[in-house]
Amino acid sequence: MVDDELLGTHRQELRRGTVVLACLLALRAPEYGYALLKRLAAAGIPSDANTIYPLLRRLEERGLLASEWNTDDTRPRKFYRTSPAGSALADQLMSDMTDLTASLHALNGGAVE
Amino acid sequence: MTSLTDRYVAATLRGIPEKQRADVERELRSSIADAVEDRVANGEERVAAETAVLEELGNPTKLAAGMVGRPVYLIGPELFIAYRHILLLLLGIVVPIVGVVQAIVAISGDAGIGQAIGAGILAALSIAIQVAFWVTLAFAIVERVDPATWKDADLKELTAPWTIEHLPDLPSSGAVSVGETAGEIVTLGISIGGLLYLRDWSWVDNASGDPIPLFNPALWDFWFPVIIGVLVLQAVFQIVKLLIGRWTVGLAIVNAGLLSAVAIPFAVLALTGELINPAFADAIGWPQLAEGDSVAMLAVAAVSILVNGWEVVSGFRLARRRPQTEMEYAR
Repeated sequence: MVDDELLGTHRQELRRGTVVLACLLALRAPEYGYALLKRLAAAGIPSDANTIYPLLRRLEERGLLASEWNTDDTRPRKFYRTSPAGSALADQLMSDMTDLTASLHALNGGAVE
Repeated sequence: MTSLTDRYVAATLRGIPEKQRADVERELRSSIADAVEDRVANGEERVAAETAVLEELGNPTKLAAGMVGRPVYLIGPELFIAYRHILLLLLGIVVPIVGVVQAIVAISGDAGIGQAIGAGILAALSIAIQVAFWVTLAFAIVERVDPATWKDADLKELTAPWTIEHLPDLPSSGAVSVGETAGEIVTLGISIGGLLYLRDWSWVDNASGDPIPLFNPALWDFWFPVIIGVLVLQAVFQIVKLLIGRWTVGLAIVNAGLLSAVAIPFAVLALTGELINPAFADAIGWPQLAEGDSVAMLAVAAVSILVNGWEVVSGFRLARRRPQTEMEYAR
């Protein structure tokens, strides 16, 4: 049985690299911060609010996301959407991720299931 | 009454630049409200829900740093090795020099030996703190500047990729060689011979044709015999060290004792004006030479302490070394 703490640390390491990709993919459909968190969790990628909110701002600053305030709802919400540059990056990262998964399966002694 | 959320938002905004504050505040408040409402809809009590949401968001200072992209560490892994290297290098050079110089300055005033050592240690401590502070500050600033804007080539060197030229030589292993031992013994022999020779020979003679010795003749009553005795012991020590074959902690301790037994009396005699024969100083027309607070005597004392101090330190360093490679084990 793997030690819980050890597993937690390594899981966190493994997921850290995929959060950006997950956000860029998910935000091809515009979404505000809290709803994005719920969508990621529902998709099996639970993330911390204090990771995602700062990340959204930094991705926006680098031009990978665009944002727009929506004031029609009960409360004003900042909607993020993946920019063309962000979308191109997401395609590249997604293909890398697929290759990586295939490589890991090969190392694990079998072909991709 | 201010709510927990108000306080949390205010604490976060303190770390956000003025022009982004309005936007961050609006988004943060709406995110918190969304999360709280979600929990309340699931049957949680409002204050408990608010507390839970804010605790999940964590330390507001850290959250703000993440939003601005500011590092939450002083010096990161990119710079840490260069930082440590420069810090240790500077401390190793500056601290002993300042300490010894301060002690010598104190002794050349009216201070006794104890006071002088105290002054030296104080000066060394305060310069160590200064060096550590300024080096750390400089690196903390470099850490916060975008490397792309660095113009200085030396600064770029700090994070330059490691190449084979950076590979250090194998450290000497602390093994003792015959050549090194012979060299040490010859040097000691010259020192002893020189002292004895200068007892009865000099560059200047008095009116009746007798030599005026360089060193104070009174020292032959006690100090010079002692010093020569210790120098002989140092030669014996060199042979023992060769027989053992390598530096050990015990040898390093004995080495420290033997070196101190020469360096300290020598420095003290120089600083108290007892080393040089006043008649000799007068005869060469430089009467101040024999005085303890002359520049020449300060220099003699400083060189004596620094050179022997370095030998003591390097003895301990070599004693700590273990054979580094299989090749050396085989030797």
